Amino acid sequence: MAEAVVTVDRITKRFAGHTAVRDLSLSIPAGGIFGLLGPNGAGKSTTIRMILNILVPDTGSVRLFGNHVAGRDLSARVGYLPEERGLYRKMRVLDQLAFLGEIRGLRRLDSVRRARTWLERLGLGDWTRKKVEDLSKGMQQKVQFIGSLLHDPELVVLDEPFSGLDPVNSQLMKDVVVEIAREGRTVLFSTHIMEQAERMCDRVAIIARGEKVLDGALSEVKRDFGTRHVALVFTRNQASAARILRDPALVARADDYGGSAEVELASEGNPDRLLRALVDADVGLSRFEIVEPSLQSIFIAKVGAEAAVAPAREEAHA
Amino acid sequence: MRKFIAVVTREFRERVRTRAFVISTVLIPLFFTLMIAGQIVLSTRGAGTWRIAVVDAAQGSFGARIEAALRDAKVGTGASAAQKYRVERITAAPGRIDAVKDSLVPLTGKREEVPGKLDGFLLVTEDALTSGAIPYYGGNVGSLSEMDNLQAALRPVVLTERLVREGVGAVAVQEASGRVELVTSKITDGKLTGESGESSFFLVYVMTLMMYFALLFYGIQVMSSVLEEKTSRIVEVLASSVTPFQLMLGKVVGVASVGLFQLGIWAMAGLYLTANVAPILSILHMSSDAARGVQLPTVTLPLLAVFLLFFVLGFFLFASLYAAVGAMCSSQQDANQTQHPVTIGIVLGLMTMFPLMNDPNSTLARTLSLIPFTAPFATPIRYSVAPLPLVELLLSILSTIAGVLIMCWIASRIYRIGILAYGKRPGLAELWRWVRTA
Repeated sequence: MAEAVVTVDRITKRFAGHTAVRDLSLSIPAGGIFGLLGPNGAGKSTTIRMILNILVPDTGSVRLFGNHVAGRDLSARVGYLPEERGLYRKMRVLDQLAFLGEIRGLRRLDSVRRARTWLERLGLGDWTRKKVEDLSKGMQQKVQFIGSLLHDPELVVLDEPFSGLDPVNSQLMKDVVVEIAREGRTVLFSTHIMEQAERMCDRVAIIARGEKVLDGALSEVKRDFGTRHVALVFTRNQASAARILRDPALVARADDYGGSAEVELASEGNPDRLLRALVDADVGLSRFEIVEPSLQSIFIAKVGAEAAVAPAREEAHA
Repeated sequence: MRKFIAVVTREFRERVRTRAFVISTVLIPLFFTLMIAGQIVLSTRGAGTWRIAVVDAAQGSFGARIEAALRDAKVGTGASAAQKYRVERITAAPGRIDAVKDSLVPLTGKREEVPGKLDGFLLVTEDALTSGAIPYYGGNVGSLSEMDNLQAALRPVVLTERLVREGVGAVAVQEASGRVELVTSKITDGKLTGESGESSFFLVYVMTLMMYFALLFYGIQVMSSVLEEKTSRIVEVLASSVTPFQLMLGKVVGVASVGLFQLGIWAMAGLYLTANVAPILSILHMSSDAARGVQLPTVTLPLLAVFLLFFVLGFFLFASLYAAVGAMCSSQQDANQTQHPVTIGIVLGLMTMFPLMNDPNSTLARTLSLIPFTAPFATPIRYSVAPLPLVELLLSILSTIAGVLIMCWIASRIYRIGILAYGKRPGLAELWRWVRTA
């Protein structure tokens, strides 16, 4: 494994009344896309803020690029798209980006030149002199995305980057993120949407209630979780199918969508018995495939369905 | 450092570009000019000629003397001078005085033109001569300066009449009771400045008012700028690359430079105007006599330096507090309520002006120029009204700087946590916890 870009060592952050992050350790290697996964309110944003030195952990330490220097002093090497999007509403798009580049250490002219190139690339070339408040929400999000990339950072931190984007823009941003990773730079992004993480991430860490549940390379995580997963699609008699999926002798856990399901076989059960039961029940089976577990099912299994609902917490520290 | 400069420049650029900046740069001096011009017009043209009746129920020539004195009163100076009062003397027997009064009241202070209309009337009696209290009835009694003028015209007449009755010759009295007045000239540090007392009062008054408005106006701008960054949530991106202290200081310096820039524009315009007073007044069809009426004060360099120094110090003090207020609130309404203590601090500073100008070396004055919150007002006022010992000036500067550093530090501690905290505004105990936590 290459030298870690981000090393988080047993950090804990308490806010009035609750602990947002407890004893969390992470190691993010250079290059590739690292997904920080967790339900809403799990402590993802707080962790990211501590990595970026916006918040200081109560205990534990964070190192960037192997340095003990505060993350803010390394901000020329880090790009950040916060979860709460925000720009100066009255500022013109180009001025805004020039400023965002400047506070990351770029010279103004250089910053302006780079901003123009990016705006062209993301289809905002005609909007450079418009005020931010005249832009649609999606456009504003793209402007801010550009702002986090202007200075060619080695580490790009994106907090929920795709939330609120339409499929076209989502795709556009995904392409950029993948390209950054391909150039050997590191992307850390947080999400609670598992399908997205599954397609993009090389490594993931799942956190819930402020604690790490698991982390590692995506392929390892899946392998460790087991190969006793079956993907099913049935075309009739959904009620009978559902009854079979609830049989603990056959199925340990089922993610049932009505017409399709992903199940984890019970330890003493085997695929043959499940297949026979389903055929006997005449459910019109059109797919029966032994698969790798999806990130979604790993997530549900590890975190537990109840963790999807965060405990009551102050909005101030979300 | 480059980041800090970027924050300052952004603040400056964005503010100077706004329509509000252009409008306020033009309108504020216009407002002041109109106010001053209005005062000139009022003082020269007055309210025209007053029609006054003198009800003469006194013996001898007392009533006639009053009539003559009022006729002699002039408004304006030189060739443009005009009669101040049009006087009509009505003799009345002492017993009839109430009847005459009742007949004059309906004619007095009428809005529309009526024959025999009066602005007011005097009741001249023997009683008035002995007691020195002359009753005046009129529609214009609310105007203190008019009443002063009238009183000033009557005072020598009463004096003359009393002396004449004691047997002194009228001519001798006239000669003895020539006008006496104080012609003031200010000496600063052993040198004649060529200013009169009035014009140096005027100067302090204007400069203090400007300081008051600038602190309030720009302080609130710092507050709303902090609030904007917080509510638009851009502060998080900023906080990941700039320290909260850099950010707060950058904002304060940025807004302060906008303020100084604006003051600079006004100063240039002011210099140009004072250099060309006469031609400008002639455009406005006002005589140059009017211009001489308001002697424009000269601002000495040290005085300007003291004012600017204390303006900057005061600005850092109050603006950092405004920044802290902006940081601890989550909405404009919230901030409007929370800013009151800071605003009251500035108002208190302004209110020190009058006691200080009356007695610039009292214990109160000395104390006020050592308190960092009042010193930005108190010390320049004292400096311009009376000679201020160098030791006191330096002490005041040092204590204000110390106060500014402490307040900036406290404000930045609040700011640091406040900018990332949303929701309920913190109470005092909570704020104190913010200040203490590492």
